[in-house]
Amino acid sequence: MLTVALDAVTTAALLFIISSGLLIVFGVMKIINFAHAAFVTVGGYAALVGAWLGLPWLLVLPLAFAAGAVCGGLTEAIIVRRLYQRPLDAILATWGLGIVIGQLVTLVFGREVQFVQAPITGTVDLGSLDYSAYRLVMIAAAVVVAVVFTGLLGGTRLGLSTRAVIMNEMLAQGLGVNSARVRLVTFAIGSGLAALSGALITPLSSVDPNMGLPWLISAFMLVMVSGGSLLALAVSCLVLGGCQVIVSTFVNPILGGLTIAILAAIVLRIRPEGFARA
Amino acid sequence: MPDTQQASPAAAPPMIGGFSPVLSLAAAALLMVGIVVVAPSFLDTYLVNILIRAFFVAIAAVTVDIMWGYSGTLTFGQSAFFGIGVYALAITFTEYGFGTWQALMALGVTLTITAAVAALTGWLSFYPGSTPLYASIVSLVVPIVLVQILYSGGTFTGSSSGLVGFESFDLSFEDWFRLAGLSLIAVAVVALIIMRSDTGRLLTALRDNDARCTYLGIDTSRMRIIVLILTALVASLAGFGYAAFGAVAAPENASFTFGTRLIIMVALGGRGTIIGAIVGALSIEVASAYLSGSLPYVWELIIGVALITVILAFPDGLVGVIRKLVRGLHRFQATETVRLRPLTVSTAADKTSEMAIEVRELGKHFGSLSVLDGVQFKAHRAELLSLVGPNGAGKTTLIRCLSDGRERSTGHVAIAGQPIDYLPPDRIVRFGLGRKFQTASVFEPLTVAECLRVARTHHAPPSLTSTSTFLDLPAAAIAVLERSGLGERLSEEARNLSHGLKQALELAMVLALEPEVLLLDEPTAGLTRAERQGFADILTTLVSRDRLCILLVEHDLDFVREISSRIIVLHQGRIALDGSVDEVVNSALVREIYTGQPSSAAEARP
Repeated sequence: MLTVALDAVTTAALLFIISSGLLIVFGVMKIINFAHAAFVTVGGYAALVGAWLGLPWLLVLPLAFAAGAVCGGLTEAIIVRRLYQRPLDAILATWGLGIVIGQLVTLVFGREVQFVQAPITGTVDLGSLDYSAYRLVMIAAAVVVAVVFTGLLGGTRLGLSTRAVIMNEMLAQGLGVNSARVRLVTFAIGSGLAALSGALITPLSSVDPNMGLPWLISAFMLVMVSGGSLLALAVSCLVLGGCQVIVSTFVNPILGGLTIAILAAIVLRIRPEGFARA
Repeated sequence: MPDTQQASPAAAPPMIGGFSPVLSLAAAALLMVGIVVVAPSFLDTYLVNILIRAFFVAIAAVTVDIMWGYSGTLTFGQSAFFGIGVYALAITFTEYGFGTWQALMALGVTLTITAAVAALTGWLSFYPGSTPLYASIVSLVVPIVLVQILYSGGTFTGSSSGLVGFESFDLSFEDWFRLAGLSLIAVAVVALIIMRSDTGRLLTALRDNDARCTYLGIDTSRMRIIVLILTALVASLAGFGYAAFGAVAAPENASFTFGTRLIIMVALGGRGTIIGAIVGALSIEVASAYLSGSLPYVWELIIGVALITVILAFPDGLVGVIRKLVRGLHRFQATETVRLRPLTVSTAADKTSEMAIEVRELGKHFGSLSVLDGVQFKAHRAELLSLVGPNGAGKTTLIRCLSDGRERSTGHVAIAGQPIDYLPPDRIVRFGLGRKFQTASVFEPLTVAECLRVARTHHAPPSLTSTSTFLDLPAAAIAVLERSGLGERLSEEARNLSHGLKQALELAMVLALEPEVLLLDEPTAGLTRAERQGFADILTTLVSRDRLCILLVEHDLDFVREISSRIIVLHQGRIALDGSVDEVVNSALVREIYTGQPSSAAEARP
């Protein structure tokens, strides 16, 4: 029972880390970045390269973030910026970018599945059971992401501008907020977070050119359900991620993989504001 | 009436370079039929094989174009319906063998399951308040769920390796080519006819401005669900044919990767053209067949780069670019001549209810913040009631609460004697309500006449096959058109109109609904003095002659004084005053509210 509970919390932590970058982009730009999965993949390969070079894990993480942020910044400047008036086209263009990144990764690294050794191996003795130490680290990572995020939004000038743009972009522009810069930085941070999450999950799964895709739908639905609020995202990850673990454990894993998408769709149908005002 | 409206006799369809569009479509279709019948004798077997599959895929791409290019729903889910057709056939033939009744059964299963899944998807995707972005993401979930079901189906679905080795229809390659090719032509012709008809224009209206459609009494969610079910059925039949030819079923046929591939085909070929979907599908299918073997990753890379480039630089795709090059010869000249016909509306007299608006104890709260509280008033027919008050008084919120049953937090509202309960706007509009928005809300890509026809959807259901040359409108709408000069510009696209003309067009559209109650939110904002005067004349005529009840939100007190029969002052979410023009204009309270000073101080000023 305790294992299931721990699985639920660590899964929620993983989901939160992956979705938070998508959420901030959705909040500011009202678009869904379909290249998010590709940036997760970029982070995974950054971790792989880091492992090859023998870099310490704590150095690999910021490098992965930086790689994602650079990709994201370029994407915003070259592609997304021109499509703000056409949100559905922005979806398509970022999807196209996802294909391009996936194929480039394949051309460079090959198609095969590769593995990265976890920086922290072994298990933690929790009295009645032993639990994977690295999975527990994920909870800490999610808390760090949430705290840094809240701190950035609440405690910095950029965060203030960002919140202003989220609430009312026209008004923010009128008050002298450079919303183009806010968008650029937001997109870069969102993509950086995607890559960071990619680097974090690689020791748990494996690295391949499509590694980001399985997470994508769940992340999309979580963001839709939480409607742009970080707190609601955390709640959604815990509730829906918990359901996923329960279904995977007691019913079957394939159905488990669909739990989040299906439950979120039903929640949104019955309660269109989702968990945003829960 | 101006000459332009009578330029051509009503019976003659519009001409393009001497041919009517119907004739040129028929000629093109016949030419394609000829090519499809003859072609297999000249092509090598490999290409014929590729093209047969490509034809079926192209049919699915056409359905994506109708969903996305015409109706504005970017759908990744058409592959799921294609896959249902593929698997219904494969599973039936694997389980029960091949035969006539098995084939009929497979067909029945295909259509039933597809309709059910499409209806469920539609219910999840389209409801008042759902966004196009959300509908896109739900459409992405459908094929993913389906593929997972296929994976976990064991030998029944063949799991990840799919189903092979079942017996299927025994036709020669040549016959398959003709069958698939003719099916594609038939689908394309039917799609083109419907999309060019008045119904097609209605879909464009839906894509352009969902809210305006809702407030014209159109149940947009229901329409989108119907379009989804119909296109899903066609896509599933394409999948059925695809599997019947190939005698193979693979999870890829239902996957969302295939769904996105269909979108890419439509985007590259040119959305909203049908032809573009076919061109895109055939060229990508054929090119993939030759290139993906020799340079698999590079080919995918090229597709990705091409998609980004087209979206950024040529959103109208290949067909759009070609059209631009030959512009002047094509369609753009084919301005249709529409003639207005005044309707004899069964006017006011025979309507039973004298009470137009009844509001009791209406409140609107956001948590502890109350925007409207205890609002209560009645309005009768032939009254022009103005709603005034400083910014933030809750005027627009009140208008919203009157026209959408789900907006208010507490209280009772009845329009034309009928309680609005929790009904969505399109239902309330059918009680006899017309709402004009604050900023002119029309259908930008449609012509003036088409905008008006969309407004008449409920009174005169649009034709599925043709564009009507007559436009029946109530006298009040015609009066607005003639007064504003729009009557002479019926075939002009709404996006090219000036701000004032857009306002007039929207008013005419709302009047085309034959409303009993008219809600106007700052109709004169941004208009010139002359246009404003024109508006005032139109409104007073509507009240005195047609006995409409008009509720007008307005900031300009002079304008209000000139035309109102009664004024309600709203202040901080409550009715501060409700009385005749004189009572309100001379009230100390109103001055206090507007100047923010106690009345004595305000009066003390010179």
